[in-house]
Amino acid sequence: MSGPGIPNYLDYPLRRRGLDHDRFLHRNLPQARPVVWPGKARVALWVAVHVAHFPMDMPRQPFVAPGGVDRPYPSYWDYTQRDYGNRIGIYRLMRALDARGLRATALLNSAVAARYPALATEIAASDWEVAAAGVDMGRLHHGGLAEADERALVTEAVGTLRGAFRSKIRGWHSPAHSESMRTLDLVAEAGLDYVTDWINDDMPYPVTAASGGLTAMPLTWDLSDLHLLFQQHMDTGEFVEQVLRAFRTLYAEAAQTGSGRILTLTITPWLMGQPHRIRALGAMLDRILEHAGVWPATGAEIVDAWRASG
Amino acid sequence: MLAEPGHYDYAPYSGRPHIVWPGGARIAVWLAPNIEHYELEPPNNPRRVPWPRPVPDVLNYAHRDYGNRVGFWRMADVMARHGVRGSVSLNVAVCDHYPEIIERCCELGWELFSHGTYNTRYFYDLSEDQQRAVIADSRETILKYSGQSLDGWLTPAITNDETTQHVLAEEGIKYTLDMVHDDQPMPVKVRNGRLISVPYSLEVNDVPLFLNRNTPVERYTAIVKAQFDQLYAEGAESGTVMCLPLHPFLTGQPQRISALDEALAHIVAHDGVWLATGREIAAWYTEHYYDAFVAWLAAGTPGGRR
Repeated sequence: MSGPGIPNYLDYPLRRRGLDHDRFLHRNLPQARPVVWPGKARVALWVAVHVAHFPMDMPRQPFVAPGGVDRPYPSYWDYTQRDYGNRIGIYRLMRALDARGLRATALLNSAVAARYPALATEIAASDWEVAAAGVDMGRLHHGGLAEADERALVTEAVGTLRGAFRSKIRGWHSPAHSESMRTLDLVAEAGLDYVTDWINDDMPYPVTAASGGLTAMPLTWDLSDLHLLFQQHMDTGEFVEQVLRAFRTLYAEAAQTGSGRILTLTITPWLMGQPHRIRALGAMLDRILEHAGVWPATGAEIVDAWRASG
Repeated sequence: MLAEPGHYDYAPYSGRPHIVWPGGARIAVWLAPNIEHYELEPPNNPRRVPWPRPVPDVLNYAHRDYGNRVGFWRMADVMARHGVRGSVSLNVAVCDHYPEIIERCCELGWELFSHGTYNTRYFYDLSEDQQRAVIADSRETILKYSGQSLDGWLTPAITNDETTQHVLAEEGIKYTLDMVHDDQPMPVKVRNGRLISVPYSLEVNDVPLFLNRNTPVERYTAIVKAQFDQLYAEGAESGTVMCLPLHPFLTGQPQRISALDEALAHIVAHDGVWLATGREIAAWYTEHYYDAFVAWLAAGTPGGRR
């Protein structure tokens, strides 16, 4: 039978118009202001590459980032498979993108730049955008982190990348899309201006931080190779099928609504950079690029065009 | 603890009273979009932790938020294009948070029923008075925002407690979706009043398929079509019910919406399909078949091939 209940369980202090937090406003996509991309393109193609370092001794708490070390220590299986991405996979991705005149945004753990300066040089030479993606995949931003510790992580990540790259660092991605409620403030305080962790929209939107405004950019998770290929064990063909379906939906919507859309291709060197997948990636890109009205752009370029279009 | 829900007796899929849906239809198809709000910082519940990651679970919160910002609108357009209404499994606080969503549902002639207040407020360990308070809140909120009566119920996250179905009946709820034991509506045994179950589904539900079973997108369409084709065939003998539960944060994604479009095109191309709401199915069954089913059950389910 029924017990005494749970005290105060039916109090709803944040039941109100809009969201239950103050980071940004609720927005319905059909009511978003129309966006005009350069050349009146229908779809901006944003290639975002997770360039990550997974330490072999990464902590298990508060949780293991997707793709993180899963097997008992010392897991050469996990460590070296991911490290492959930074040795081989990313070079394959760079060649496939270069061949099509595409530049990506590297969502870069600063540990990768610190450990592999040769790779940092190659990324810079490819004219990719570099966005800060924390220190490494074992250093998560989360609610249990003290403010000073989290600020130190942001400072280390951004400072290292500013030292390694001449181009301006503007974007932020928290490892595993994980944030504390302070992360956005700390990211704005570090002088960055766009963020990628809240996977709740297809289009940019403004975000409020204590030390200035940020723009949220629609990095994908549901449609990322990490989720589909690694977490969900789909095959490469299914990943391609889903990306092309998303493209067709967004391409049609852009025509119907008169507002540009964004197809974000979120890929991972140790997954899509494998020999058995790289040609499928190239063929998929060719299928997209054969359409008129596709504007390949970096995250920062999309942010600028979105702001200018308002 | 109970060894079984105790809300129904065994009823063989054989010898049952013959169901015919309005217009002679053989299958009632209804779509149940779950329009939900998951709180960023929900209260603790003794039996279930709301988020897999520590609060704030930005990834999982934002994934669900996508449904209200983007997915719902896309999904509603596709359903409208096929002339299919939704019966909304509604966390009623959505009325307060995002009233434009409710306006769009009403404009499309959709039913609203209750899926509790928030999807992060479980019924586990609530007292009966607390359960009644949630139901009353749902009734008042749905009436205020849509003018509709509260007829149907799916406990948030299907976290009902042992007494929930009794409380639902006493509070005047007409149909419950908490049990997936049948492909036809069934009387529910409750201590007072009258309650029926209407078939919901965990089999053609996008959450288990896309989140738990890693279903490829074309496979989703194939599963929905196969479910329909079989229930349609069996409906020639006696009317069946197919529920297609939907979650805008999953099926409303640009990579999946075409899968729903293709499945609905298949369903609406058939004759003899009653595109109904949950409330309409419950009302038709209650008016025409409830007494016959109760009598058949009371008589020991005679008439099968035994």
